[in-house]
Amino acid sequence: MARSDRSGDIILSTRNVTKRYGQVEAVRELTLEIRDGEFFTIVGPSGSGKSTLIRMLGGLEAPTTGSVWLRDEDITHVPANRRPTCMVFQSLALFRHRSVGENIEFAQKMRGVPPGERRRHALEMMRIVRLPDSYYNRRIHQCSGGEQQRVALARALASDPTILFFDEPLSAIDYRLRKILEVEMKDLHRRTGKTFVYITHSLEEAMVMSDRISIMRDGNIVQTGTPRDIYSRPGSRFVAQFMGEVNVFEIREGRIASPEADVSAIGRHGYLVLRPEHLRRLDGQDAADVRFEAIVESEYMLGSRLQYHLRAGDASLVAEIPIPAATGVTPGITARWGFDLADATLTED
Amino acid sequence: MKIGRRAGPLAAAPAMLLLATGFLVPVLIVFAFSLLPPRTFGWTGELTLSNYSTAFTDGYWRNLAWSCMLAALTTVLCLLLAWPAAKALHRLAGHRATAVTLAIALPIFISESVRLFGMALFLMPGGGILAGTLDAVFGISVGTILNTRIAALLGLVYIHFPFVLFPTLLGFSLLPNDQVEAARDLGASGWQVFREIELPLAAPGALTGALFCFVLSLGAYAEMSILGGQAVTVITRAIEQRFNYAQDWPLGAGLTMLVIALTAIVVFPFLRRVDIDRLIHR
Repeated sequence: MARSDRSGDIILSTRNVTKRYGQVEAVRELTLEIRDGEFFTIVGPSGSGKSTLIRMLGGLEAPTTGSVWLRDEDITHVPANRRPTCMVFQSLALFRHRSVGENIEFAQKMRGVPPGERRRHALEMMRIVRLPDSYYNRRIHQCSGGEQQRVALARALASDPTILFFDEPLSAIDYRLRKILEVEMKDLHRRTGKTFVYITHSLEEAMVMSDRISIMRDGNIVQTGTPRDIYSRPGSRFVAQFMGEVNVFEIREGRIASPEADVSAIGRHGYLVLRPEHLRRLDGQDAADVRFEAIVESEYMLGSRLQYHLRAGDASLVAEIPIPAATGVTPGITARWGFDLADATLTED
Repeated sequence: MKIGRRAGPLAAAPAMLLLATGFLVPVLIVFAFSLLPPRTFGWTGELTLSNYSTAFTDGYWRNLAWSCMLAALTTVLCLLLAWPAAKALHRLAGHRATAVTLAIALPIFISESVRLFGMALFLMPGGGILAGTLDAVFGISVGTILNTRIAALLGLVYIHFPFVLFPTLLGFSLLPNDQVEAARDLGASGWQVFREIELPLAAPGALTGALFCFVLSLGAYAEMSILGGQAVTVITRAIEQRFNYAQDWPLGAGLTMLVIALTAIVVFPFLRRVDIDRLIHR
């Protein structure tokens, strides 16, 4: 499997897709473009419509209105078994009455490929996902969670899909294994060169693996971009808050009320969004566009960083400082803090 | 923990006692009678296998063959009806499925004889509900299938259908929908999904239902006599005739033991193959 040489072309798109279940609109007027060969992740809170969307992309649900396109072909009404795509389900949906090998061979068996050829192909897929050949005859219940994950991946890859869909496959796995599999998935994507479309509610997963991310809310996409863009330049308070801890200040007539400061250089109305790592403790004559005093209310250990919850007037703020730089900040003290407007983002809503 | 260890056998004791007195003892008595000389009613000091040889030489194998054939046909027809019905009910789920299930289950709470006599009234020629209505409303005169093998088969299917449907439905409940979706997603056609996923996963339930149906149909009597009339003499009717009219209890007992043996031949291999624990979600 080699990387696609068409990287960058639009391979899958939706045009004004809507899905209704009775009175409920799970997805509304959604337009989306996914590029050939990219690792594209759709992130959103529960009930945002992301699973419905991926099921429509995979042909497991039909849109109520709108269309789904594979390159220049309208595949809206093409059933799942006739699409060049494959899904790795949240539950993995492995066939427990079949062995590991039989699971991986399933798609080829459905196509009438002879047993010998199927077996060779299955063993090749097992090597790609780093499963030992000896697992070929194992039953699914004899495999650990991580191994089952690999079987599901190998089974999907064995059908040689143009696009692979993942519906939160790591959500039920413990933290340590999830981190390993995240890296392996990214590596697998690089080695196969296939288009991966991934659904998750975990921001961390999305950031680690994705080339581009779409944030979904209430059945529609509110922002699409690279992980870095979305994190550092969120288009709305919702995106900013969804992508992690954030400080939000309302701007009126070029000023924020608490802590009081003139921020007209960034805008006159809207919301100023600031990541906690950009809120610094100021020493002596340290310069910052916005400076204020705040009481340190509490301190939390985040591994390599410390998180501080601050109070400045009516405002509750959050700051994160790398541990070597955090000396001298303890709950109860009043200290000077500040940030530069260049590190902040202005959003309209 | 002593009480804990004893709890199982203690709880099972009443049922075991009932089985011992209500099933095992009568079977042993019937077995003892089957070894007595023909037309005797008590111990004569002589034991014989002549009743078993008579069962094969006097044409009773025909009655047994008819019973087996009708039971097998009933089982196949019930399975053919129950599989799509169970699949539909499984998909419906929720309140609508409950209503449909109740509609199917309700007749079970009415006496089998009442239902069979109702069906006989329905099929009766001339003044029967079907023929009478067709004649009165449409002026069409039709014959009847009452007192035929077809009527008996119809009755067997009608009575035993729920015994196949509900275990089949239980089998479908063990079939995760995501596995069907995964198979479709991996390129399986409708037939391939049935063969590769539905059949192996839902089959234990359907087979359990089929087993109930076959065993109950093999021992069915009322359907044959009320709807089948004299059209066919099945083994249960032959046994009843030996015990009542012919007053030949040993031969009746011999025929009964053959039916029990046949049932065991069908049931035990099945029980060895089907994972009952899985079926009851343990």
